[in-house]
Amino acid sequence: MPAYHSSFLSDTDVRIIGNFALLPLRTRTRGPAYTLPLLPPDADEINIDTESESYDHLDETLTLFRANTLFRNFEIKGPADRVLIYGILFISECLGKIKPNMTGREAEKALNTLALEHFALPGDPTFPLNALFAPARDRNEADTLRQYISQMRQELTIRLLSRVYFESATVPSKWWLSFTKRKFMGKNL
Amino acid sequence: MSTSQTPAVVMDNGTGYSKLGFAGNDAPSFVFPTAIATKTAAGGGGSGSGRPAVAQKPSFLTGGAGPGGHLSAKRGTEDLDFFIGDEALNAAKGPGYGIDYPIRHGQIENWDHMERFWQSSIFKYLRVEPEDHYFLLTEPPLNPPESRESTAEIMFESFNCAGLYIAVQAVLALAASWTSSKVQDRSLTGTVIDSGDGVTHVIPVAEGYVIGSSIRSIPIAGRDITYFVQSLLRDRGEPDSSLKTAESIKEEFCYVCPDIVKEFSKYDREPDKFQKYVVDQGAGRKVTVDVGYERFLAPEIFFNPEIYSSDFLTPLPEVVDGVIQSSPIDVRKGLYKNIVLSGGSTLYKDFGRRLQRDIRHLVDARIKLSEQRAGTNVRSSGLEVSVITHKRQRYGPWFGGSLLGQTPEFRSYCHTKQEYDEVGPSIVRRFALLGGPGGAA
Repeated sequence: MPAYHSSFLSDTDVRIIGNFALLPLRTRTRGPAYTLPLLPPDADEINIDTESESYDHLDETLTLFRANTLFRNFEIKGPADRVLIYGILFISECLGKIKPNMTGREAEKALNTLALEHFALPGDPTFPLNALFAPARDRNEADTLRQYISQMRQELTIRLLSRVYFESATVPSKWWLSFTKRKFMGKNL
Repeated sequence: MSTSQTPAVVMDNGTGYSKLGFAGNDAPSFVFPTAIATKTAAGGGGSGSGRPAVAQKPSFLTGGAGPGGHLSAKRGTEDLDFFIGDEALNAAKGPGYGIDYPIRHGQIENWDHMERFWQSSIFKYLRVEPEDHYFLLTEPPLNPPESRESTAEIMFESFNCAGLYIAVQAVLALAASWTSSKVQDRSLTGTVIDSGDGVTHVIPVAEGYVIGSSIRSIPIAGRDITYFVQSLLRDRGEPDSSLKTAESIKEEFCYVCPDIVKEFSKYDREPDKFQKYVVDQGAGRKVTVDVGYERFLAPEIFFNPEIYSSDFLTPLPEVVDGVIQSSPIDVRKGLYKNIVLSGGSTLYKDFGRRLQRDIRHLVDARIKLSEQRAGTNVRSSGLEVSVITHKRQRYGPWFGGSLLGQTPEFRSYCHTKQEYDEVGPSIVRRFALLGGPGGAA
């Protein structure tokens, strides 16, 4: 049983830039993504039902992260898998920034900076996965892609923090931090 | 002769541990490491201890024989100065003794040490007179006949034992599975998965005979699981991540899960899945180690070797399927139907269930594919895949020996001292199949 694939592979009616799928997101951050309805206030955010209309690929990425990051090989089956790869590698990067003595507030600050700082896009010389990701066709597309990924990064940090600081607001979960040293596909962003 | 009442002695000497006891018993009387500690002054043998040998007398004092010496020249009291098993490990901690493991990869490498190991096993541990007992010894699959002969020479000429039978471990492991309620026909056909500390073997056996060309071994076994637990403990920065701690956690807490992603989510929902293990570091210091995901991740390396090793990537279920597929076609059905587990590293909860599910998936997918190829009106009746888990797994080969050694016809299958004297060592090249068709009850 190899690494897990995205269940969004079957969604074919999404916009694709390069070979990266702009899947719908459940987020308050502005951006090009099609937004899904927010969760009702009483919903359990961590164990969200996969059938729910609010379930998005970031929920899936966070669920698959701990299993997939143990694997070194991953066969890409479609654009949604590339979104998954990007998400998992970004989570790894985030976890690397959270130090065991950081409080939730400090970690939030550190990750917000990380999410908003300038990042490489597929096709840029500093992007580590250029062998697997195709570049955007023109400037316009590249801008949209940047905005989408930025949206994804911001939403992902928020949700990651709520998991890492689930038990205590002052101490990060060591169960999550233990995955810092693992490298999915032997790569990092 | 008093041999008519005495139970047979069953000795299963493995690479890691030796299991000794009497046929008819439920469990071996002694289980200790197959290790022997000898005086390092005798030269050579001490290299394993990693210590410099104690100061030696100059050669003119030992009669010119030199420290590396001829064994014959020293057949004095030094010869009796050795320990085996746990005592050997203790003796090797102090000065003067070096430790040696006479069995490597299942085969006897150091016959001189093995002879002394048996001598101590028989006289010091089991305390029996070999003349009064029949012996059942075990050997790994593909053991060279010369090894059998050497074994027989020692057993008959040094110890004068009354009778000897040498059985293949995998066949005995099959016999041990007869205690499971899932087994109806006590056949000696099946696939044995033998996972100890160093290596895991998958051995197909047809009617008591090992199919040598199809045996496959996997470089993942108990020790690797321990290392993996240790690396997970270190990633998390636990206060104690020694090998001993990792081993205890492995034995106490690990189990096999059906799906790792679901299991991770389960740990989020049920925090009591996380456990604590208290390590006594000696001198009254105690530290608590948290036990988490390694509980199910560690045995997972059998099913997803990729998460542990970068050079061996084939999951165990695929290896088992490959072994059976490479066996003769007329026995494959029997091999799938009777997959027997043996050895300490197969004891994880639900190990058998997961293995059975994964192999069944592989088989069903193949059947479906061939049905598609054959056309629409051909339907396969399916293939039964069954993994047998039973209570005697840990010492499977020993228990199988105990089971067969107590049968009334056991002695007629053995070669006796008298037969050995008439024919010579080559007599042990062949043994009639114990427990085969028309044999044991």
